[in-house]
Amino acid sequence: MKHMILGASALAVLATGAVAQEVTLGRFFGDCENAGTDTKVTVGEACIIQSIINAADAQLDGISVSTLPTDWGNYYDQIKATYAGGTPPNVHVMHRHRVPEFASIGALADLTDDLAAAGIDPSDWEAAALEAVTYNDRIVGVPMDFHANLWHVNMDLMEAAGLVENGAPVLPSSPEELLEHARAVKQTTGQDYLAADFAQFPIGVRVALALIWQQGSNIFEGDTATIDTPEARNAISAITQLFDAGLANAQLNYADSQQAFLNGEAAILVNGTWVVDFYSAEAAKDDQGLNRYFAADFPTLFDEGATWADSHMWAIPAPLKANDADTYAAALQVLAFINDHNIDWARTGHMAVRSSVLASAEYAALPHRDEYTGTADIARDTPPSVRYGAIQDVLNRELQAIWLTGKSVDAALADAEADVQDLLDR
Amino acid sequence: MPRHHIARPALTQRQAAAILLLPFLTVYAVFLVYPFFKGIWISLHDWNLMAVAFNPDAKTFVGLQNYERVMWGRNITWGAWSSPGLQMLGLIGLGAGFLLYRTGRAGKVTALAILIASLLLFVLPGFHPGEGGRWYDRRFWPTVGNTIVFVGLAVPGVTITAMLLAAALDGETRAKAVLRTLFFLSQVLSVTVVTLIWQIMFSPRQGLIANLTELFGGSPIVWLTAEGFAMAAIVIATIWWSLGIAMILFLAGIQDISKDLYEAGALDNATGAKAFWYITLPNLKRTITVVVVLQIILHFQVFGQAHLMTSGGPNDSTQVLVRYIYQTAFRDSELGRASAMAVFLFVIMGGFSILQFVLGREKDQ
Repeated sequence: MKHMILGASALAVLATGAVAQEVTLGRFFGDCENAGTDTKVTVGEACIIQSIINAADAQLDGISVSTLPTDWGNYYDQIKATYAGGTPPNVHVMHRHRVPEFASIGALADLTDDLAAAGIDPSDWEAAALEAVTYNDRIVGVPMDFHANLWHVNMDLMEAAGLVENGAPVLPSSPEELLEHARAVKQTTGQDYLAADFAQFPIGVRVALALIWQQGSNIFEGDTATIDTPEARNAISAITQLFDAGLANAQLNYADSQQAFLNGEAAILVNGTWVVDFYSAEAAKDDQGLNRYFAADFPTLFDEGATWADSHMWAIPAPLKANDADTYAAALQVLAFINDHNIDWARTGHMAVRSSVLASAEYAALPHRDEYTGTADIARDTPPSVRYGAIQDVLNRELQAIWLTGKSVDAALADAEADVQDLLDR
Repeated sequence: MPRHHIARPALTQRQAAAILLLPFLTVYAVFLVYPFFKGIWISLHDWNLMAVAFNPDAKTFVGLQNYERVMWGRNITWGAWSSPGLQMLGLIGLGAGFLLYRTGRAGKVTALAILIASLLLFVLPGFHPGEGGRWYDRRFWPTVGNTIVFVGLAVPGVTITAMLLAAALDGETRAKAVLRTLFFLSQVLSVTVVTLIWQIMFSPRQGLIANLTELFGGSPIVWLTAEGFAMAAIVIATIWWSLGIAMILFLAGIQDISKDLYEAGALDNATGAKAFWYITLPNLKRTITVVVVLQIILHFQVFGQAHLMTSGGPNDSTQVLVRYIYQTAFRDSELGRASAMAVFLFVIMGGFSILQFVLGREKDQ
């Protein structure tokens, strides 16, 4: 497909006789072979973003966009290596949590004074979105979404367990109730109550973090790690009680846990907003174990609502702005195009960042959108840190050690606190 | 016909050699020697990958501090019995090496290698944090340990399987030729393909192995996330992947053995397994040495399998040295620290390379 696009753009150049300004683009989200240029029909993150990029390539005059091959799992390693080698892509996607790491050394172009001319209106961004892309009072990126952990619900299993009221699932409000509900599902349906990736990516970490935040605690504050706390123990035991009672399986990775949910083998799947459209498309198929699907806010098991959240955003490397005005201008055009298609990206299930999009009827009509309206208010993340990636890895390792290898909670929390403290001290 | 000499600039052999070697030496110097010394130079600095790219002055010279931060700790003491199992093994090795040498059952170099390895086994595990002390980097030595365990499982695994396969597939029938090709095929795959294949094989939901265990009434093992099985899983994938070259080396070795030996053996009733044990194996000694040392050097650099199949988990049980170096350099941007670990890895592999060199020379004499 890429060759076809490149070939087609080469032909277009020959036909018009004009030399298109090439913009290279780096992104994660995975590959999509035949995304096309229709941004309204694609399904799933990979295909929706690629259709938007293809549309930009086709519709922006004198600009061709080529997507660089990158790999999800090693994306930031790759991007950092390209920065270090002096050849970063002209525009690239990143998470809000990475802003300190990149912006603190001046890697990201300051877009503040150039957005308006490119047709991007920051005053249309939600306050939290503006904050996400702001570093030292300067705008260093264009936000694309808020994403957060949801509870994806199989309504048939919940109904069988008597856990549906007024067409909505009844979710637990305490760790004890969580266990009760899980037992009810097991007794009536024989299936697990909850599935999530507790074995690979840090989805399990994000569940534990949400439960820690719900008690008003956090894993570090300033330069001090605060992991070995009663709040962390409460959060962990709320999760491990399900494993111990055989009501959830800790050993499923991302793909396996998702498959278990789609097969109708788990009533709840904890996963992000990014799969809402995919799961509703799957539920619509006849041959799936999942038939009636509901996307619910992460429930509050302790004192205050909280769920893990982050933002995707687009940035331009500082050297491009400094050295190549033409490509920089073209790159801004690409960002403006993506910003204009915020509603299309929201079709994934992510929450839009533009107030005008959030208020639109089209947005409200997106599938399941009205079911998780509370998520924006409870969205949380750990404090900003240049060592975010390494800290997440420490938590993932130690929490997995608890539920996969039986490491004692005391030892795991002590090790996690020591390791995170080490990272904060470096 | 008149004979006349055409005067041409005469090159001495030395000059010709120099000119012919020049292209290689240039490439070697630019792409191997320079980066190597640059790596050592970086390891002496506090060097942030991205910061230095944007500001070359953002690094500070810290001497050997990176090495200390990686390998040492606060209040480290040494005890003869702090790790009894390994240290006992070291002592036994010391005794055995000495005995082998005295009874003439091992050559000077072999005995020396055993003695050095045993001494290291006795000394190194003896270091441990004393009262109130701790390793600065509590993951480094366990990571080195995991790497050694991986090498310790993969190398014999590859060597023995490849040798048996070679013995079985040596011959001129068409079936054997096809099988040889098949077994070699896995070697040409890239690590991404190999790990993808084996992730599917090991998957508890759709994997071949899980289906087989279920067929026989067992409950499937979750290979990649179970602490006892994760390392075994990546070793199995590695053996499958790297059989090919070793098998070819053994085939060459086997074909070098004179057929007379087998004929003579057959007269004394040594055929099949017996012939393998008494004729093939002793004659393959040299090939085995080469294969083992090459495999050790290769597998110390294991990265892809642990990175792609288990992400070093669960609980760091498959975290290996190169993956730790990679994470330190690219995830944490700490190039200095990562280079210090890389230099450590170089020393280990350099040791084995010297061993191979020495063993090779010993046999030549």
